[in-house]
Amino acid sequence: MSDVPSSSTQVVDYRRRQRLARIAQRLIIFGGSILLAVYVIAPVTWLVSSSVQTEAEIVSVPPHWIPEEPTLRNFKAIFSATEEETVTYETRSGQDPAAGGFIPSTASSLLPAMANSLTVATLVVILNLLVAVPAAYSLAKIRTWGRNATVYFILITRVIPDIALVVPFFLVIRKLGMLDTIGSLVLTYLAVTVPFSVFILLQYFEGLPDELDKAARVDGCSRFQALIRVFLPLSLPSLVAVVLFTFLTSWNEFLLALMFTQTEASQTLPILLAAFTSDFTISFSFINAAGVLAIIPPVIVAIIFERYIVSGLTAGAVKG
Amino acid sequence: MRRLFGYEERSAAIFLAPVLAVLMGVAVFPILYSFYLSFFRIKLTRPNRTPFVGLDNYLDLFTNDLFWVSVARTVTFSVVSVAAILAISLLVSLLLNQNFRGRRVLSTILLVPWAIPYVANALMWKWIYDSGYGALNGILYQLDFIDKYMVWLGDQDKTIFLIANAFVWKEVPLATILLLVSLKAIPSDLYQAARVDGAGVWQRFIHVTLPAMKPGFMLVLIYETMMAIRHFDLFFILTEGGPGNASHVLSWHIYVETFRNLSFGSGAAMSYVLALVTFALSYTFIRSLGRKV
Repeated sequence: MSDVPSSSTQVVDYRRRQRLARIAQRLIIFGGSILLAVYVIAPVTWLVSSSVQTEAEIVSVPPHWIPEEPTLRNFKAIFSATEEETVTYETRSGQDPAAGGFIPSTASSLLPAMANSLTVATLVVILNLLVAVPAAYSLAKIRTWGRNATVYFILITRVIPDIALVVPFFLVIRKLGMLDTIGSLVLTYLAVTVPFSVFILLQYFEGLPDELDKAARVDGCSRFQALIRVFLPLSLPSLVAVVLFTFLTSWNEFLLALMFTQTEASQTLPILLAAFTSDFTISFSFINAAGVLAIIPPVIVAIIFERYIVSGLTAGAVKG
Repeated sequence: MRRLFGYEERSAAIFLAPVLAVLMGVAVFPILYSFYLSFFRIKLTRPNRTPFVGLDNYLDLFTNDLFWVSVARTVTFSVVSVAAILAISLLVSLLLNQNFRGRRVLSTILLVPWAIPYVANALMWKWIYDSGYGALNGILYQLDFIDKYMVWLGDQDKTIFLIANAFVWKEVPLATILLLVSLKAIPSDLYQAARVDGAGVWQRFIHVTLPAMKPGFMLVLIYETMMAIRHFDLFFILTEGGPGNASHVLSWHIYVETFRNLSFGSGAAMSYVLALVTFALSYTFIRSLGRKV
């Protein structure tokens, strides 16, 4: 059968088939989009919905998908956690126990934990830039012996699983007397994130023409000046990507924080969340509110900086 | 003639010194130190007696039934998750490679699971799977698929798949982004040529799209396998290795051995085995990637 229609009925037939194919394609795209959106959004929506329900409503069977009397009580408890707001075992006995609604005394540690997470993430971001930028520039623009070996070395350190590092990390940190300090987290997160940062930047610097470097040098710039004055202003997108990845990785990290932190002095948000999930006395809606609180900052960051994230992910992955 | 340490070498050395110092101190040293530790019996309950035991920690490991159980659980979890991630992200990337209204919104939404912390993801799925008030029970009950609420995570046969589902949900966005790169790189001439040769939609997909996506597939395969093998957070929050040992994966085994039994020597031995396996896997993946592409 030839594709070229030879008579008028065949032309009509051919056109109709084309139109059907186009409609089918649109239907598939539409259906697929809906399916994907539901798959991604439904679990999160359910979490948000159950974070604004009262304790009486959250235990309904079958569940209320849309809360009938939405309340911000849980969030209020987190942000203004004082003795009166907090329901302890003692004050709880005055209430109807069936109503539940237990907000733990640790609710007041949520904000300090968030502050810890923020401090750690910020420090890791700054150190990352200080360490990774010169390294990436050197690997991209300075041709010397040992350059390839260094790239492979950094590549290999990226493959080491963090779970394999926790035992030696723990013993070293303990020996240094750094257990339960923010410093222990900053140090280890730095090692975990730096290889990826180097690869994102390396990819970007390699894309900038060598002539820039040569011109700067002819004008009398030292290597350092060439980096600061010529390359840094040009590499803003990759710097943003590095900042985002490092920040999100540090904000989200759990395993190392679980090993090193013990008290409010250094506990990060994920640690507190994990503790809530295993405490059966805490009300469900409160746990969900804490979860929502942990989700909001990274999700906002991701949505605002989507473009940088996608380009950074692909650059880092292609190299690594 | 260049000297061994000319200006270039010296500036490279200065620029690279910080990164090398960090990686030496916080990655290479610990891994070597843990190799050293793995030859001793170190119990934190007996801090003053740490006898040298040679290869005993490794031998104990390989004769320990629970270790082999954990290896089997890790393999199941990794194979199921990675297969699902590949299948779903292939479909999603094909969808997002089309031009249609709303595509940009959809790709932005897709970043949400990627951005969520793993602990929050675990918390969310624990609540969805909840036996008393969870969404999974609720929806299946309302749709009449079940006539009473089930204890999902307490079911030995289902646990690992439910955890894998939570893992897949979070990993699909990254895999999709990686696959989209190789999809976008396919020159449209190839499709034109195939069309001229009379290839239908399905044939173009099999003979043009799939082969061109091979580098992307390999990348996702390597990366996601690494992530699945080492994954810990979901197991910690959802099941703690249970029920029984149904979700007792290797990373959980290392954690229990080290921080609950406080036996650092054998924990280090296991960490070392895991690190070596990861290295070997990534090496073979990268080698086969290099050969075929």
